Amino acid sequence: MAPIPANYGLLLAALLFILGLAGVLVRRNVIFILLSIEIMVNAAGLAFVVGGSRWRQPDGQLMFIFILVMAAVEVSLGLALVLQLYHHLKTLDIDRASSMRG
Amino acid sequence: MSIQDFIAVLPLVALATAAVMIMLAITFYRSHLLTLAITLAGLAAAVALLPLAARQTPRQVTALLTIDGYALFFTGVILAATFAVAIFSYVYLRRRTGQHDELYLLLLLAALGAAVLAASSHFASLFLGLELLSSSLFVLIAYPRGRINIEAGIKYLILASVSTAFLLFGMALIYDQTGTMEFGRLAVIAGNTDGAGLLTAGLGLLAVGLGFKLALVPFHMWTPDVYQGAPAPITAFVATVSKVGVFALALRFFSEVGIHPHAHLFLLFTLIAVASMLGGNLLALLQNNVKRMLAYSSIAHLGYLLVAFLASGPLAVTAVAFYLSAYTATTLGAFGVIAVAPGHSGAEAETLQHYRGLFWRRPWLAAVFAAMLFSLAGIPLTAGFIGKFYLLDAGVGSSLWLLVFSLVAGSGISLYYYLRLVVVMYMRPHREGAREGADAFPWTGSLTLTLLMGVIFWLGVYPAPFIDMIERTARLK
Repeated sequence: MAPIPANYGLLLAALLFILGLAGVLVRRNVIFILLSIEIMVNAAGLAFVVGGSRWRQPDGQLMFIFILVMAAVEVSLGLALVLQLYHHLKTLDIDRASSMRG
Repeated sequence: MSIQDFIAVLPLVALATAAVMIMLAITFYRSHLLTLAITLAGLAAAVALLPLAARQTPRQVTALLTIDGYALFFTGVILAATFAVAIFSYVYLRRRTGQHDELYLLLLLAALGAAVLAASSHFASLFLGLELLSSSLFVLIAYPRGRINIEAGIKYLILASVSTAFLLFGMALIYDQTGTMEFGRLAVIAGNTDGAGLLTAGLGLLAVGLGFKLALVPFHMWTPDVYQGAPAPITAFVATVSKVGVFALALRFFSEVGIHPHAHLFLLFTLIAVASMLGGNLLALLQNNVKRMLAYSSIAHLGYLLVAFLASGPLAVTAVAFYLSAYTATTLGAFGVIAVAPGHSGAEAETLQHYRGLFWRRPWLAAVFAAMLFSLAGIPLTAGFIGKFYLLDAGVGSSLWLLVFSLVAGSGISLYYYLRLVVVMYMRPHREGAREGADAFPWTGSLTLTLLMGVIFWLGVYPAPFIDMIERTARLK
């Protein structure tokens, strides 16, 4: 089986990244925003893996493990904050939660 | 890893040890004062170990960290700033209910992250340092768990995570094009393969990610909300320590890789700098909330720093190191005053109205605040003036006329809102001594503020010894 060209992998990563970014910009529910961020971060992880396989180094996969750990930290902190937000406001809508302006 | 390597990273080890000790202490015995003591002892130990580490410099500790004079200088600034923030936090939290110990733990971890950033020479350590810093900050910002704190915490979490994703994608693209994540080797390869589209794209994404962290226009949207929503001592931390760490890293990275060969990147940074200087100052004019005003002013100050960043060369590093130190001392002082100033029934003194007549109620506090505002405005005899002078010198030396012009224009605009606050403080209060309750703060708060004011005047009147030290230590190859 012929190897998949490296550029396809990068293209997929770029598409996922843009999808995630669009999600962050369009969605108004905090949970979905966190999900979209997860997609962006994992797209970067995929790009690292592609790079690692291109250069035949373990570094790319290593960075992916770092990224997984970081994503877990961010989600756990994010959900803790979301719980607190819900406790205060009874809403997960980011626009209605936003009171500071100017 | 040899014993010399270990000695070189001892300041970082001291910080980590202090964090672990606080964790252990909390499980056995909760005492606000004890936690503060461990924090301050850990920070002092780390500062005391700096000269010992300096004897080993310059030293590459594994591929990840470069411990050189540059890294140690910025680590010193970070440690000193964290020391002041810890004391302000003590004063601030004493007036409030709740459990306070974890705040110091997170403060130490965030400082560790910033110090790692200042020393990092590899994408992996960059990433780890940045995450240590920003994940601690998510919690610190939301720490008192009021409605506004949570809102600020979530806003910071979302925007910081998005910026991290940009940074990571940029790093991945660069790695994909060069096959290395070490700054030194990467610079060599990047120099040979100029004009590679994906490499420039990667550097651009990296710049966007760092721009978010440094709150430069147009990536500044989160700044005023987070500054307003975070507790005042933590705002001081976000404004100083996190900026110092990220800026030290950005300067190291881009001076190794070189911005000048990448014309698009140079143009991008120039536009960002001009937009930050003018945008930050103009938006600050509209603010009625002192924390928001200082947030916009910090955006402008980071824009000023970009002038020296773009000038590059040895003078640029000196200018950046001096300006960042002066900015750190000044901003800490300004937010320190807000942290200790008496507000209404537990709330912070945020709006301009709170400061009306402060001079007649608390003359010393008002004098310190006025000195900090003068330094931020860059009035002679203060650290801010010498700092701006160095920035201008670096800018003129590299003939960056657009940037120099924006710096001067921005400083001119900024005078208005800084002086407006000073004038408000010296007005007669509406109601005589109406809200003077049990708001006395401990002498440690006043002492720290006085020391910071001393630093500002010392750097403004007799900066030679400090500049000498910067030139001896903070140098990049």
